[in-house]
Amino acid sequence: MQIFITGYGVISSIGLNVEENYNSLKNSKSGIKLTESTVFKNYKVANIQYSNEELATMFKLQTKGSRTAILGMIAAKEAFKDHELSSEIRTGLISGTSVGGMDLTENLYKDYLKGNLRADEYKHHPSGVSTIEIAKELGLEDCFLNTISTACSSAANAIMQGARLIKNNVLDRVIVGGTDALTEFTFNGFRSLMIFDEEWCRPFDNTRNGLNLGEGAGYIVLESEKSLKLSKSKAIGVLSGWNSSSDAYHQTASSPEGYGAILSMTGAIEMSGLGINEINYVNAHGTSTPNNDLSESHALKTVFENDVPPFSSTKSYTGHTLAASGGIEAVFALLAINNGVLYPNLNFSEVITETQLTPQLLFEENKIIKHVLSNSFGFGGNNSSILISGLN
Amino acid sequence: MYYIHAISSISHQQTFDLEFIHNDLQKLTPESPLLVPEFIDILPPTALRRLSAILKISLTTALKCLNESAFDGIVVGTGLGCLQDTEKFLVTINNTTSDVLSPTAFIQSTHNTIGGQISLFLKNHAYNMTHTQNALSFEISLLDGITLLNEGKNNILVGAADEKIPFLELLNEDLIKTDYPFTSIATFFNLKKEKSDRNVLVKDVLVLANSKKDINEVILRFLEKNQCDPTNLTKVYHSDLEISLSTEKVNYLDFTGYNYAASALAFHIGVSELSEIPGTILIVNSLVKKDLGLILIERC
Repeated sequence: MQIFITGYGVISSIGLNVEENYNSLKNSKSGIKLTESTVFKNYKVANIQYSNEELATMFKLQTKGSRTAILGMIAAKEAFKDHELSSEIRTGLISGTSVGGMDLTENLYKDYLKGNLRADEYKHHPSGVSTIEIAKELGLEDCFLNTISTACSSAANAIMQGARLIKNNVLDRVIVGGTDALTEFTFNGFRSLMIFDEEWCRPFDNTRNGLNLGEGAGYIVLESEKSLKLSKSKAIGVLSGWNSSSDAYHQTASSPEGYGAILSMTGAIEMSGLGINEINYVNAHGTSTPNNDLSESHALKTVFENDVPPFSSTKSYTGHTLAASGGIEAVFALLAINNGVLYPNLNFSEVITETQLTPQLLFEENKIIKHVLSNSFGFGGNNSSILISGLN
Repeated sequence: MYYIHAISSISHQQTFDLEFIHNDLQKLTPESPLLVPEFIDILPPTALRRLSAILKISLTTALKCLNESAFDGIVVGTGLGCLQDTEKFLVTINNTTSDVLSPTAFIQSTHNTIGGQISLFLKNHAYNMTHTQNALSFEISLLDGITLLNEGKNNILVGAADEKIPFLELLNEDLIKTDYPFTSIATFFNLKKEKSDRNVLVKDVLVLANSKKDINEVILRFLEKNQCDPTNLTKVYHSDLEISLSTEKVNYLDFTGYNYAASALAFHIGVSELSEIPGTILIVNSLVKKDLGLILIERC
């Protein structure tokens, strides 16, 4: 049974829709910058330069929600724009998020700690509520809704669960992906872990010294063949493989040899029935932390038997958008396939001593890209890989 | 078929380490404490020092469900996640002026810390998932467990956990509006294709969100789909709802308290009951209005 992809939508620091994101990717235009906000101190972040109110007005949103929900609504609506709800097609929504309504909760707590509790604002806090808010904006009722929270692999896992529920005949069509707003909570959390680079992140570079945080949302629409016949949607790709495995090494660090990553990449490729030489591009997790990129490099070399296909980390454009990254990068994978392009890994100059891998360095056009492997590895050892293919 | 093997809960009832938990249930009061075992006998000292309440009770109940082979999947549902550590880190970032912050609370604040701690403790490399859809998180996790069995996996750990922090009580009346005491709950169980001694199975599970449908109509259609005559139902456990079936009805919130994992504990109560006497039990969860979870369990 094939799982067709029939829509995509994205918002990030490099663009408010698919087209703007693609143009930035094409022109090597990164969204990572120093902001005037005192919250982020002197660290560079990849934020979206509009307030919640501005975004709600620009995109004519009808539903109120946290920033996480607002970003999710914008990208999910773009993904679903050519689709219509139908009683014959069981349509669901599965969204990944790590913070939910934390942008509102953290302000609520500031006042609460001073003795002033605005209880009503807490209603946006639960991650599941952000998904309900997105569903309302899409007009989804009486349906399967779910939120996955496996840190940075949340969106990839949402995509995977959507495909599995279609295969198991629970759903016919499902909007899947993830969303995360930049919050003080996560900013300070990552700062406490001391994994920020004060400069622009340099994934897979020998001098890499940490990540830059970003925000955004990315969703794709999955449909069964039956759904496709009813909806008459145009397929733009297929989800040909997926796997989620556990590194079981450390609560925040990846194992040096990338064991969980090897399992997830191998699992996704095996499921598709493809040979390792048929993968044309790997959109790496590539956070630019010393630990992840070394571990992922080892894993790539193991999985591809030292003959690693072109790979890059688009986090050098978008920053690390945490739970949204797998959704945003799934959209980038579809764009690579349908435009026949490869994206550069920005800010790279020197190979990692131990692994000697050089990522894709130029934006290249007129390539034949049929199969893209996309990695998302989370905190807590949740390693997920999905494989997106072009139509035959 | 989806059979329930080992099952374990920690709650404000006497549930831990008991073969049957349904006979001695007490109606909870706001003073009913969380009844925890001696963690020191079960968890290593480092875990005892570092882990918050939700992590301790989850890990402890999960470990009770071990069998001779490694789990093929670990699925966790949590509505609000690790609230204690989330609040701790929120307070820290507001009160600390220093540039150096302790990361422990942040690390343990993410929802997937529960599943992550279980996999780390067991050195388990299998599928590890965390679902968080408010009060439906358990039903969704159960559905994921069933899906894994359908995909050919066998030995699955499924569970749900949510913890109470004093902050939640401050929201009562304004936001949550409940007459039931807030509680902490962790329920984990082992789901397999093979029969267990207790012979209790999950017949079906339904998840319906953002719904305007009439609950009683959805229930009737659900029973019909499962070829279950309502007159053959032994009991209905529900979250303080008006259920029109003539079957014996029990409001499980009296025993679970207000908790997003309440239906998981109700599930354990039902499984315990069927382990003693054969029958069919329906669990109806609409703790959060507009959301509906239905679980049908059975022992022939």
